[in-house]
Amino acid sequence: MIMGRTVLNLYCLLVYAFLLAPIFVVVGASFNAGEFLTFPPQGLSFRWYVTFFHNEVFLRAIVTSLWIASVATVFSVVIGTMAAIYYVHFAGRRKEMIRVAALSPLLLPEILTAIALLFFLYDIGIGTKTMFGLLVGHVLLTLPFVFMNVSASLEGYDTDWSMAARSLGARPFTRFRRIVLPLIKPGLIGGALFSFVISFDVFTISLLLKSIGTATLPIQLFDYLKTNYTPEAAAVSTLSIVATVSVVVIVEKVVGLKVHKF
Amino acid sequence: MTEVRLNRLTKIYAGGKPAVDSISLTIPTGQFVSLLGPSGCGKTTTLKMLAGFEEVTRGEIAFDGQDMVRVPAEDRDIGMVFQNYALFPHMTVFQNLAFGLEMRRIGKAEIARRVGETLEMVQLSHLADRYPAQLSGGQQQRVAIGRALVIEPRILLLDEPLANLDAKLREEMRVFIRDLQKRVGITTIYVTHDQAEAMTMSDLVVVMFDGRIAQAGAPAEIYERPKSATVAGFVGQVNLIEAALDPASPGAAKTPFGPVPVQVPPVGDSVTLALRPEAIDIAPAGAGPGTAATVESLQYSGAIVDYVLRFADGSRASVKTIPRHRFETGQEVSLSVDPARFWQLGREY
Repeated sequence: MIMGRTVLNLYCLLVYAFLLAPIFVVVGASFNAGEFLTFPPQGLSFRWYVTFFHNEVFLRAIVTSLWIASVATVFSVVIGTMAAIYYVHFAGRRKEMIRVAALSPLLLPEILTAIALLFFLYDIGIGTKTMFGLLVGHVLLTLPFVFMNVSASLEGYDTDWSMAARSLGARPFTRFRRIVLPLIKPGLIGGALFSFVISFDVFTISLLLKSIGTATLPIQLFDYLKTNYTPEAAAVSTLSIVATVSVVVIVEKVVGLKVHKF
Repeated sequence: MTEVRLNRLTKIYAGGKPAVDSISLTIPTGQFVSLLGPSGCGKTTTLKMLAGFEEVTRGEIAFDGQDMVRVPAEDRDIGMVFQNYALFPHMTVFQNLAFGLEMRRIGKAEIARRVGETLEMVQLSHLADRYPAQLSGGQQQRVAIGRALVIEPRILLLDEPLANLDAKLREEMRVFIRDLQKRVGITTIYVTHDQAEAMTMSDLVVVMFDGRIAQAGAPAEIYERPKSATVAGFVGQVNLIEAALDPASPGAAKTPFGPVPVQVPPVGDSVTLALRPEAIDIAPAGAGPGTAATVESLQYSGAIVDYVLRFADGSRASVKTIPRHRFETGQEVSLSVDPARFWQLGREY
């Protein structure tokens, strides 16, 4: 027994090490004192962080990424929640169809979605002059995550709760606010977090749909690495990891991911 | 207090036969009425139409003469108790009860007072701050009843509320619900497939089959004077005797127990008589005048014994009796019946 558990623990440790090692390498490399992106770092220093905070291009990219991730998440949460409610409670025989449609951005290669959207946007005359196309792409890619999380928490939702609320005099909006929303909150927040992190990270769609002159952080990093090979890239990556983790932690503290007492 | 009247109420789902087929019923103020029937008989659909959760295809629902068909569920002022209780899991017992009052924009102090009173009535004052998941089935049931009653609704609807409770608790809750209903004096409609629940709790039992009312009446009337064999069989065990009319003595039918007078002029040459198993007296053979029979099998269950008896002509009858005399399988016995206990059945609904 004890032997078996030790082996299992060791195995889990190795899997985690395998998954997390690249991140440690990046974080380690960002404290490099030398001129080149190497690991282990040659001496420790914060110089590349300082460089980064003076690099307006990167700062602008981070702001762009945060802005797009926030707006895309808001749209995804609203549309995805509505879709999930329809899917779980009203779709009837169309259920399977709706599910496949909502999840299709996950199933198709991102590059195909990106190309299709690019052609479509030019055909209808919107093109990529504004951020609109980029936002549509991000909403499309993040929607399945909200949809999956919210519909999972809705599966445990008893429609008798809505009927009980109705018989007690609650109108549709009140029923949603007082009964449905609190009960699907864990799925909603989970979906929103996924949506935000995915949007922050997405590359292909952004590359094809970005307007001229705007760049999200992944695009900017890619551009930078094409011509430079300094630890500044690692510093930027480390900061974006910190940013992502902070979002998760702050949401957890402020709104709470825990399920209500059932 | 509210009188409920249904007039030719009908529900037809797309492409199907009527789930509820033109039922008419008047429920006097303050009465406890059970809709009794097997699953699929339309009793729950009727309840949902009353609550406003199900659209009415045809017909009328009126509370005190006021048409309700087009009034949305949230404005009908109905207290509803669901089979699985449907308590809001993210709210405490207090918050569950307060919800309906908050919808009515009642002040905080008044809410606290009324919820407090109702909790006392359903004997849950000590559990006000618990969440539903922390309560037993019986306690959840009482919260559900409290939540329905605290808004002082016009009528109370209960959809098989005891189906998920164990046998002992179910009997306690029967008494509890009935007492509460009498005290509050609210018109109550109770859906169940359990004939014992319907019989013990109701002022009026409405037996439904296939979307229609087979019979409506007081529990004793339904049991002792059922209109049809189906009703007779649904509310308890019954011996159905297909009795030929005796040409020698007009107005009487031939049964294994001798001739029985027929009340209603019958159609055809036979009548169907119902005889409850407890109406038959059983005695040792030769102990007096009676019909001879043999004990085919018996089932002893403490307070009562159920016998299956076979007559000389091969027909059988069930007899229910207190075990004062015990008879064994194969024993010859003598049966007698007060002719007044025979009940002539009509055609099916």
